[in-house]
Amino acid sequence: MGFDWAVIHDNLPFLMRGLWNSVQLAAITVVLSFPLGCIVALGRISRRRWLRYPATMLVHALRSNPLILIVFWFFFLVPILTGRPVGDFASVLAAFVVFFSAYFAEIVRSGIQSVRRGQLEAALSTGLTYAQAMRFIVLPQALRSMTPSLATECVIVFQGTTIAYVVGMREFLHTTFLVTERTMRPVELYLFAALVYFVVCLAGSIFARRLEGKAGIPR
Amino acid sequence: MSDPLVSIRNLGLRYGTFRALEDVSADFSRGTCIVICGPSGSGKSSLLRCINRLEEFQDGDVVFDGASLRACRDLPRLRSEIGMVFQHFELYPHLSVLDNVTLAPRIAKGKPRQEAEETARRLLDRVGIGDQAGKFPGELSGGQQQRAAIARALALEPKLMLFDEPTSALDPEMIAEVLRVMRDLARNGMTMLVVTHEMAFAREVADEIVFMDKGRIVERAETARFFSAPTAPRAREFLDRILHRL
Ligand SMILES: Nc1ncnc2c1ncn2[C@@H]1O[C@H](COP(=O)(O)OP(=O)(O)OP(=O)(O)O)[C@@H](O)[C@H]1O
Ligand SMILES: [Mg+2]
Repeated sequence: MGFDWAVIHDNLPFLMRGLWNSVQLAAITVVLSFPLGCIVALGRISRRRWLRYPATMLVHALRSNPLILIVFWFFFLVPILTGRPVGDFASVLAAFVVFFSAYFAEIVRSGIQSVRRGQLEAALSTGLTYAQAMRFIVLPQALRSMTPSLATECVIVFQGTTIAYVVGMREFLHTTFLVTERTMRPVELYLFAALVYFVVCLAGSIFARRLEGKAGIPR
Repeated sequence: MSDPLVSIRNLGLRYGTFRALEDVSADFSRGTCIVICGPSGSGKSSLLRCINRLEEFQDGDVVFDGASLRACRDLPRLRSEIGMVFQHFELYPHLSVLDNVTLAPRIAKGKPRQEAEETARRLLDRVGIGDQAGKFPGELSGGQQQRAAIARALALEPKLMLFDEPTSALDPEMIAEVLRVMRDLARNGMTMLVVTHEMAFAREVADEIVFMDKGRIVERAETARFFSAPTAPRAREFLDRILHRL
């Protein structure tokens, strides 16, 4: 049996549209869930119980559920709650942002806790407020120590976009699957898909390495 | 002595059920340098940390410059009037020395950058590291780092300086340069509370010595008298040990 790579060439525009959807979903998810995760993380480490308890519960609840369930939840619940259809992309995006903010929160929390407590105290002792101390002293240092885990999480988000398939969103794997069904060329198409995921993730980790270099602090 | 800068009144601090400070009372006048000593775990750091409320005490009160800390609603403002120097410097590793010194004046006090930098350079000169302003803390020696930390605290023009074992993390050859800066500060009339085991410094610079044990002040005396004839047996024992150690 010979390979027939033309099948990829012929369906490239369709496949690339799927890839674009995946990339968009992943990128917007990261851009929204990271800041949200920072807020949740601050709640997790707060001394105030009325902040800490709900934040902790939220994180545990989200992390104990599979992403696919959250996606279903939003797909069926959001239209009921809002009273109108929101479209598959919007509902999947909402599910992703909520789900991954819990994971980002845990990364941010451990990043913050890797910064010596004395740093916060030094900042407070010079008259900075807690928020200012976090913003100018603790978070910049935390960010540096968490860059590797953040990069890994971004890759996981991108791979996670395949789950959007279950509610019919045309992400990359979905479009690959559709083409496969039509052309009966699974080997070429799935090899191609593997290559694409590999390249995107590689690009992501190279980008992260560059960022890490920029955030580098002489010690 | 009618108007002390710091007045500690029946202060009590607990960590859980452990009593770190018990019924501590003391007044400290403006312009004096007080050395606080005592065995490890006696509550020296805790006492300093109560004075700028890094530690929340349960009993009693501290009155700073006429205002009750217990009633204080604006902690950042209070803290900006009290400089603190830590055993491990706690300079911000991601900021240059200059930015370490200017950060709080700019952020907390809203000073324009240029003004803050002028003040910072003057202070860095004063502690003898004016030429290190552009470096990062990690590129400085321990003694230079601690002097930068002192400059950072001074940048807010504090009325009181708290030192918590400022030289214990330093190599012997760097201790002197930090103590020299502290001595100059004291000579220039800064009110200082210094936790230290440097008894030579205490003898030379301190006006009074406070000796703590098990969360209480067990002795307080003028420096000369403390060294010649400490009354509390615990203080005598401690002095013997620390003076004859080397
Ligand atoms: N955050 C904390 N939680 C529980 N116990 C604490 C805490 N901080 C200090 N302690 C305890 O309170 C007591 C007083 O501590 P403190 O740090 O004030 O002593 P110190 O006189 O400064 O000692 P050292 O010379 O070792 O620095 C010690 O027994 C210490 O173990
Ligand atoms: Mg101590």
